[in-house]
Amino acid sequence: MRKLLTNKLFVTVVSLLIILAVIILGAIPGSPLNSFLKPVGAVIDPVQRGVKAAGNSISDFWAALTDGMAIRSENETLRTEIAELQYQINQREEAAIRYEELQEAFHIRETFSNYDIFHAAVLSREADEWFSVLRVGAGTSDGIVVEQGQSLAVVDVRMNLVGRVIEVGDNESTILPLLHEGFRVSGKVNAVNGATFLITGDSSLKQDGLCLVTGITPDTVPSPGDEIVTSGDGGLFPQGIPIGVIESVDTSDELNITAVLRPYSDIADINDIFIMVPLEEPEDVSGTGSGADDGTRSEDS
Amino acid sequence: MMERGQKIRKYCIYAAYLLLFTTIQVTFPGLFTFYGIRPDLMFVMVVLCAYMFGFYDGMIFGALTGIIRDYLSAPAITVSEGNVQPAIGLGLLLMVCAAAFGSAFFTVRVKRNFLIAVLSVIAATVLYKACGHLIIYISTNIINGTAYNVGIKGIFLRSVLPQTLLNLAAAVPFYALLKFAGPYSKGINPYLKDERKGGSDLWLTM
Repeated sequence: MRKLLTNKLFVTVVSLLIILAVIILGAIPGSPLNSFLKPVGAVIDPVQRGVKAAGNSISDFWAALTDGMAIRSENETLRTEIAELQYQINQREEAAIRYEELQEAFHIRETFSNYDIFHAAVLSREADEWFSVLRVGAGTSDGIVVEQGQSLAVVDVRMNLVGRVIEVGDNESTILPLLHEGFRVSGKVNAVNGATFLITGDSSLKQDGLCLVTGITPDTVPSPGDEIVTSGDGGLFPQGIPIGVIESVDTSDELNITAVLRPYSDIADINDIFIMVPLEEPEDVSGTGSGADDGTRSEDS
Repeated sequence: MMERGQKIRKYCIYAAYLLLFTTIQVTFPGLFTFYGIRPDLMFVMVVLCAYMFGFYDGMIFGALTGIIRDYLSAPAITVSEGNVQPAIGLGLLLMVCAAAFGSAFFTVRVKRNFLIAVLSVIAATVLYKACGHLIIYISTNIINGTAYNVGIKGIFLRSVLPQTLLNLAAAVPFYALLKFAGPYSKGINPYLKDERKGGSDLWLTM
């Protein structure tokens, strides 16, 4: 046995088999293996928060030093004082911007009165083009619950669509961003009787921060600059959440007209998100019953 | 053999690398972004660690890095009827494979050196990206029946090339870090010397 364990090929093959078993078992919905990573958070979360705080402090301090560079060259003795003052100003400006953003966020509660809104800070973003979910700091301990097969809309402070919740832990949740290939949402032109489309993430567009718009008929071709909002079809997302603007339209193939959409939310710059939890039944915005019952639920996934 | 103090130093430095680089990569995604791609610090570290310090160091460091990667930023996969969920174990699989690759990359007959270390990172990155695109192509086109509308040229110019260049840029300081700051004194794993005949020929040279 000991001899086997020193055989690198044997160790590699056994390791890979165990990992493959973990992947397959972990892919089963409700698998207990999904809680396997929870203890990792106890170690990594404090470290990550510390690294984030340190990084922000260095960034603020560096910005203060570079802003004060011109003044430092004129007056050497005042340099430190100016840099410190600039540092304080930057911090306060940042605080003011944050305050305004949070003030705007309160409007979300007024607009979607049938939804409970939970604030969460973004903890980690994508590691590379495929390891791409977001982790945010709110979970079941904050009152967020996702039933099997259900999901929750996620918006930024300006009420623009960011993505949806795909997993909820005790203190954090996992968000599938709008740009991910697995994301689908039914959208419409923000106008009376605006045409509806399907907005999806696309592997060739996501690196440019863009989404693909499909389901366009020759009669309902949107124009560049048209604002697209959620249509409410499918019942997953409430109607009227701004998604983005049409950037270009490709009508070369009449049977497959597509458009490119630039989302309003910029995931790289998001620090705070808001999770929308329906209070009881999803918002009945169309007057025809909830989308969950009308067979169009697959529009949003 | 290593003294107790050296062992403690080794574990502390490995732990510091593990926590620092995994968190930096997912906490500051805008840092060093190029064509929407950022250097894969975890991946580079695992490949270099395996190449420089051998199979067992690489596998353990890779496995721990993979677990943290799965926790911090798992890939999302479509499991059934359009349901998407984070996949556990893919980060672990990636990092263990990277470690196995790094530890086997021209380490038997060629001295471990800077040039081969850099080449191991390039080769591992190209292999990872190629396999990743191939798996996604197969899963989207064949299994899901949808189109994976990224061409070969697009894959090379928008994914493989920028990722390779960025990983290469990260590999140079990481190599120096591993060699001069630890986990082993002088960048040499004494166990590596013991585990094969003619071990003195396998020392790191720069």
